[in-house]
Amino acid sequence: MKNKWLSFYAAAFYAFLYMPLSVMFFFSFNNARRNVLWRGFTFKWYGVLLHDAGLLGALLTSLKIAILSSLLASALGLLASYALVCRPPRFGRAFYSSWLNAPLLVPEIVMGVGLLSFFVRIGVPLNFWTLACAHAMIALPYTIGSIRARLLSLKSSQLEEAAMDLGADQWEAFIRVTLPLAKPAIVSGALLAFTISFEDFVTSFFIAGIGVVTMPIKVYSMMKFGVTPEINALSCCLLLTTLVFLLSARMLRRTPNS
Amino acid sequence: MPPGKDALPPGGRWARISRPVRSKAKKFLAWLFSGKSEKASHLLILPASFWLSFFLVIPIVLLLVLSLAQRGPYGTVIWHPTLDNFRRAFTPLYIPIVARTLLYCGAAAVICLLLGYPTAYFLSFYAGEWRDTFLILLMIPFWTSALVSIYSWIIILGRDGLMNSVLTGIGLLHTPLDVLNTPFSVILGLVYFYLPFMILPLYSSLEKIPKQYMEASYDLGAGAFQTFLKVTLPLSLPGVFAGFILTFVPCLGDFLTAEFLGGPRTYLIGNLIENQFLMAQDWPFGAALTAVLLGAMLVGLYYYQKLEAAEIA
Repeated sequence: MKNKWLSFYAAAFYAFLYMPLSVMFFFSFNNARRNVLWRGFTFKWYGVLLHDAGLLGALLTSLKIAILSSLLASALGLLASYALVCRPPRFGRAFYSSWLNAPLLVPEIVMGVGLLSFFVRIGVPLNFWTLACAHAMIALPYTIGSIRARLLSLKSSQLEEAAMDLGADQWEAFIRVTLPLAKPAIVSGALLAFTISFEDFVTSFFIAGIGVVTMPIKVYSMMKFGVTPEINALSCCLLLTTLVFLLSARMLRRTPNS
Repeated sequence: MPPGKDALPPGGRWARISRPVRSKAKKFLAWLFSGKSEKASHLLILPASFWLSFFLVIPIVLLLVLSLAQRGPYGTVIWHPTLDNFRRAFTPLYIPIVARTLLYCGAAAVICLLLGYPTAYFLSFYAGEWRDTFLILLMIPFWTSALVSIYSWIIILGRDGLMNSVLTGIGLLHTPLDVLNTPFSVILGLVYFYLPFMILPLYSSLEKIPKQYMEASYDLGAGAFQTFLKVTLPLSLPGVFAGFILTFVPCLGDFLTAEFLGGPRTYLIGNLIENQFLMAQDWPFGAALTAVLLGAMLVGLYYYQKLEAAEIA
């Protein structure tokens, strides 16, 4: 079926969707300070980023938090989804599936101010660790979603039962059969969690405390001072990171048997 | 190879732990993963549950309690229950902000629906083998940081931004337009950011409609427009409502869009909350505003669940 007008509309729609991002990308190579007129091609602004010590520090902080929180979210997600799919409890199955998705429903500003008052109330100083824990909470539904889908398809192939027929106990069957087969989905979920943590601004903004500067927080404080080509370049780097991680997460889920 | 590595008995690192501990741990793990006991399954979910309670539920409960407290001097909190914070949220000083938030978010959700419906329709019925690609393309702006998309709109809409320089360049304008810091730019930013939230539920409800229904309608003599109006549109209404809730509700808590694409005259509840927590240091009032937001969210969620239940039945 073809519909000329609808296809035309869809093309226009996608052009609208990508226009701002491509403008930003395009002008990150513009050899001019303030003007949007094209003054020639340059990698200058990316070079400036590389020599900004504060920025590199922010990158390091972001990476550390993203790695830590994605590991946490994957571990918690793996245990929970294994229990839900392969060892479903008789009671509370429906409850668990909606309960574990709860972070998707709560607006981020609520999480941000809630965690802020919580940490201050119980007297925990806001630091690197509190932020990583919060990011793990936000990312949990995504790791569970990814791992759960894979475990469900593994369950129908009954490989664990086969391993147990061959003499493995449940723990061995889990470690030697299920875990290796679920690995692509675990990695894929971890990549999603990494992206979420790396891109998160709203929650981080409220609970980062004074000393912790992540990449989005750095971008925010740069944006407060107005439009500069460095922010263009930096935003493009962030965009590219998301793109790479998102597409690899997707590819891993597509070829689960390799 | 480090010394002693080959001295490890089969079983590797496990063997370093003393035998009784090892066998106990092994027994525990075997029990945990055996699925024979109801307790074991719950125990496997417990760490995740604990995490969510600790970092999501307790903070929200604390916020609700905080919303009933009073502000003390120097931003301290006096734990004396009162409803003053809620009353204050609906005084003439703040009603414009609440009304503006409802208005902008409602407008954004309606525009998202109008812009998104044809796209969702295209994705469901005409995208063919490219459908997956189009869906990923839809998700990429959604996954990028809100800051990045807001920033790219500043480049376009700013006073010496791309739009103004193009329009003055081709002679359509003599003086640059001030588009930023207007309701227009804020609503545009909201629409741009929340479009995927609208299109995905629309798409999933349109996709479920059996093609035979439309064919039947054509066979009975209806035209394309009539088929759309009498068959497709009514069947996609659950998606329309779900999309509306999923755009409108998260929109209510947005503060970045108004902070950068708007100004003090376009501030929304989100900005007010941010301000109470980070600047004014009136946490109880901020908590009350957040509680109002949560209330709106729960109402939305209730209707959303009802829709889903109706669709299953």
